[in-house]
Amino acid sequence: MVGTTASRNGWIVWLTFAIGMLLSVSPLPQFMEILRPLWLALLLAFWALTMPQKVGMVTAWCLGLAEDVLYGTLLGQNALILTLITFLVLSLQQRLRMFPMWQQSLVILVIFGLAQLVQLWLSALTGNRQPTLALVLPALVSALLWPWVSYGLRGLHRRYKIT
Amino acid sequence: MRVLVLVVLSVALMVVDARFTLLKPVRSQMSLVLMQSYWITDLPQRLWQGVASQFGSRTELVAENEKLKTENLLLQGRMQKLAALTEQNVRLRELLNSSALVNEKVEVAELIGMDPNPFTHRIIINKGERDGVILGQPVLDARGLMGQVVELMPYTSRVLLLTDTTHSIPVQVNRNGLRAIASGTGNPERLELRHVADTADIKEGDLLVSSGLGQRFPAGYPVATVKEVIHDSGQPFAIVRAVPTAALNRSRYLLLVFSDGRTAEERANEAAQAQEALDQHGGGPVIPATVPKPALVPTPAAAPVAAPAVPAAAATPAAATPAKPATTRHSAAKPPAAQPAATKPPATQPAAVKPAAKPPVSAPASTGGRE
Repeated sequence: MVGTTASRNGWIVWLTFAIGMLLSVSPLPQFMEILRPLWLALLLAFWALTMPQKVGMVTAWCLGLAEDVLYGTLLGQNALILTLITFLVLSLQQRLRMFPMWQQSLVILVIFGLAQLVQLWLSALTGNRQPTLALVLPALVSALLWPWVSYGLRGLHRRYKIT
Repeated sequence: MRVLVLVVLSVALMVVDARFTLLKPVRSQMSLVLMQSYWITDLPQRLWQGVASQFGSRTELVAENEKLKTENLLLQGRMQKLAALTEQNVRLRELLNSSALVNEKVEVAELIGMDPNPFTHRIIINKGERDGVILGQPVLDARGLMGQVVELMPYTSRVLLLTDTTHSIPVQVNRNGLRAIASGTGNPERLELRHVADTADIKEGDLLVSSGLGQRFPAGYPVATVKEVIHDSGQPFAIVRAVPTAALNRSRYLLLVFSDGRTAEERANEAAQAQEALDQHGGGPVIPATVPKPALVPTPAAAPVAAPAVPAAAATPAAATPAKPATTRHSAAKPPAAQPAATKPPATQPAAVKPAAKPPVSAPASTGGRE
């Protein structure tokens, strides 16, 4: 978790999460709603890669609960998804850090795609089945955004020497 | 290891949240903080509107003012007639021994967010539990029904729109009282009428109003207009598509309808008592002595399901006798004077409609309260 005694500038991480949460509910034109990237998952993936000792699955779970309240889904649904994403990222962490950017994007695409499939399955369980596989589109958009998010956050990380 | 614990915890939470109401307080506490984010993301638009209205040109404002004045005049003119019609409606209902109607209270709410999930049609409004909103409360806009409240939070609530795939609403054709169920399709401009017989008297342009049979929505509010009726001999039923009259994806200001929580019998009794009190004072209109006794429950036969369609057009008691017994269903029974009552008093209440009057399908107003 962020915010323990030894951390410095940890609030910036939380600020990015807050902004991510705003982005994930911000109004979009109808045709773009279906393409909305998984902002929280992107941020979590980056911080888990960079500071695995600070941002981990517990953080992911708490953020997921918050997202559940925002979206009005069952409490625990998005928490489960985000925990799984963070788990996968953390278990691939050693390799992911060595990868070039495009390869990272590919891995992110696979992980987020899996997560979205779990999401589809969970919402089918709760009787709100989405009719199409268009649900995987956000994963694609997120993977395309990954390099930019990654560069931006890395700059932030260096600039403020967040530990 | 940790991941296992968290996964199990999430699953447990989901099960508990789906089955019990244990977690409602937790959710509402969390929403107190988190729902602010909808408000924040709505801020730019609000600011933009503020700026636009600040710098709107004078001529535009004058023109708008003019237009609003005209509209107001028209509406007030219609209101005058409405008062008379309401009075008449009450009297006729008393003749029929059915319970009197009660005016519904409405309150204005503002849209503050859309559900980010593109596959559900839900919106967030800025009135919540503390404002007296209740679960299942109907929501209108200026042109018709929009949906119902499905989740309550302290200062906000979530509204499920008519066009969500999990939503259905009992309706009737305004022209002849034909009952049907309108289900959402996931398309904001499209409702579908399920299980309408191929021979049913329904055609393009018909107005569908809420029938009040689901005990959830008040009767008589416009819901949709029929856009096309397809008779396919290969299908067991006609395919009827309708367009919601409410601007489901454009309205910013909504009306919450507060209908009282009393049962139809209690309302009937109270209305009868009020009427008696009025008669004793001598101020009330002269009415044949058919004021219902407090204990008298209106019988289903005396409470035609299509009541809202009849009274406004019927000036004489002869025409007010239920021209359409509740038993003839789809047989296209046209009441003699059932020209579509020009201005339906929106105050009609499903007071008289009792479950005993055999709703066609006793479907609840909505199937998906929560996902």
